[in-house]
Amino acid sequence: MFKHLTGDKWLSLTAVIAALLLIFVWVPLDIDTGLVEKVRRQIRLGDSLGPVTAGVVILLGGILTWMRPSADPQSLSVDNLKWMATLAVTIAVAFIVMRFAGPLITSLFTDTPYRALRATPPWNYIGYIAGGALLVATLISLARRKVSLSAALVGIIASLVFALLYDLPFDDLQLPPNGDV
Amino acid sequence: MGIWDHAVMGFMSVFSGPEAFTLLGISVSVTLVMILIGFLMGITVGATPGLAGPMAMAIALPILISIFGFSQDAFLPVMGFLIGIMKGATLGGSVPAILFNTPGTPDAYMTTLDGYPMAQKGQAKKALKVAHLSSVSGDTFSDVVLVLCAPFLAVLVESYLDLPEKAALLILSLAFIAAVIGGSVGKGLISMGLGLLAAMIATGEDFYPRLTMGSPALAEGFPIATAILGVLILGEVFKSIEDMIRSGIQSAPRPAATVAGDRLSFAEIRRLAPHIGRSSVIGTIIGALPGIGSTLAATLGYTFARARYDNKRSASDPRFGEGAPEGIAATEAANSAVSGANLIPVLSLGIPGNAAAVFLILGMESIGGFNPGPAVFRVPSDGFNPELIMAFGLFTAMFLTNGLNWTIGGVFMRAVGVMARVPKEVLLPVVLLLTLTAIYVQENTMAAMWIAVGFGMLGYIMRRVGMSPLPFVIAFILGGKLEETARQAFAATGGDPFFLFTHPIAAAFMVMSLAVIVFNLRKPSP
Repeated sequence: MFKHLTGDKWLSLTAVIAALLLIFVWVPLDIDTGLVEKVRRQIRLGDSLGPVTAGVVILLGGILTWMRPSADPQSLSVDNLKWMATLAVTIAVAFIVMRFAGPLITSLFTDTPYRALRATPPWNYIGYIAGGALLVATLISLARRKVSLSAALVGIIASLVFALLYDLPFDDLQLPPNGDV
Repeated sequence: MGIWDHAVMGFMSVFSGPEAFTLLGISVSVTLVMILIGFLMGITVGATPGLAGPMAMAIALPILISIFGFSQDAFLPVMGFLIGIMKGATLGGSVPAILFNTPGTPDAYMTTLDGYPMAQKGQAKKALKVAHLSSVSGDTFSDVVLVLCAPFLAVLVESYLDLPEKAALLILSLAFIAAVIGGSVGKGLISMGLGLLAAMIATGEDFYPRLTMGSPALAEGFPIATAILGVLILGEVFKSIEDMIRSGIQSAPRPAATVAGDRLSFAEIRRLAPHIGRSSVIGTIIGALPGIGSTLAATLGYTFARARYDNKRSASDPRFGEGAPEGIAATEAANSAVSGANLIPVLSLGIPGNAAAVFLILGMESIGGFNPGPAVFRVPSDGFNPELIMAFGLFTAMFLTNGLNWTIGGVFMRAVGVMARVPKEVLLPVVLLLTLTAIYVQENTMAAMWIAVGFGMLGYIMRRVGMSPLPFVIAFILGGKLEETARQAFAATGGDPFFLFTHPIAAAFMVMSLAVIVFNLRKPSP
């Protein structure tokens, strides 16, 4: 049934369904006041009006996209979805390394908890440089379609430079993940 | 204090702010230094394919806020830096376009058509000089129009527009942006609706933060800078890296010629002048309209110039596309003339028209103390208006940047041709890390980085389905203001549900909103 639908028609359907869900499900369930409300005998605009307006705009956009699809429609391909998944995993792994590398390595070399060392070089750089270098090196390797030492070096140098850029001149700034630990 | 006193104080504030250093006994203010650094960085960024002015402004903003803080003293150094980047990047974009046939910024694409053939003929230096002269002329003209028009427009708005009219004007601006950007009205509206929705989350007048589904993570709403950086910058980075993976990495471009060649004679400048003048006007008009970017200005400037050039061309002159200096002049004057005029709706109405203006507004909002809109140009009967002084400070910063552009811009742009050789596959992941770091430094929580990645994915999807993210961003910025103005207008009209249609000017704006959508719907689909 849906095989003949172009990318724009899919987008249109998605927008219309999302808009209807927003207007008729999300807004009534999650906002107490209506489109207008009466407060101390005065009528004023309620909190629902803005989101419902947004929903109507999305709905209208969906309908117009259905009626006037592009001659050369673009759509999300399976390859695009695979790339999004790859990207999400890469970033998630880099963030996890960034978050936990510092506390882990600190616990191996010292009895002082990481929280007490999160403003002390070199401990405060460990997570950021490990996660940042991993992120940069992985993306360069994906783009070049090969793993190389130069990609790793670029990652390490870039994250080291950014760490120093923020940490040396500004005492009150914290590198990731030091505000969270 | 009168308007002249405000202008003098604004002018002086650029020179007399916090001191950076002294030179021959003369104090040099931090603002001047920041304008210079921003301008040079802008040219460098513009000359680097894969980077663009708005991207550099986005990355620089959190760093600048970290350095200068949120005080009023921060306003001019930060805004001067951002303006320097904006203006410099437009000029820098022509460098790789001429030398390597690779536009440094999207609006420099048309420059490649005649710039690169000139470089191949050994006239690279002349082509760069034409680009510089045209760019600076267009930019300066646009700034003059800005200074003359923005206060005038603001005074008009303040004099004739009440709350219902202001609400209708915001709706007209959003309708215009949604209808003209990206070529599809439907997709523009979807993008705008999503932006309005994002602006509504966790806001409102009720005690319960609306649309948060009880989630503490959403209770604070989306940090505006994080969301915008995600959609505009990360979305572009995600798409560009995937493009490289799919189509392979292009090898570093080789220069077509050395940066040498003929001088630009006075007779040639006189021949270019009409093209520069016409394109400056086109670029200024386009820049003043919200939502239409410098790329369209460049295309229109080039197209008009070609039609005129073909009528007057002698047999020995090269055609457009074969190395005609007039082609470069028409393109560069038009795209540079956008950068001043795009501040007209920003300063007089508080409405950003393009990505660069979005980051200027973001800068103003982040620092505080300056709320772009008609009130900026109000001259008080007693005392002074600090926002008006700041506005004149901004104007001064713009003209100082032009002064730098006229004097050192040409020399510097010829030195940054090497930037086209920076490999894009290295540059983009580094930009990603720097952007995420800048977000963390500002928000101090990894949740903000996740939110940025989420909005980056949204920006990526938008680009893949052919939907411009700009209506989303502008609606996100204006959504709260629109709702607040509508609430006030509703209350001020005694609860009139048709307040947008019962006031003549407001009704006219609403009809124009409908007309702009219908008109764009009737255009043949791209």
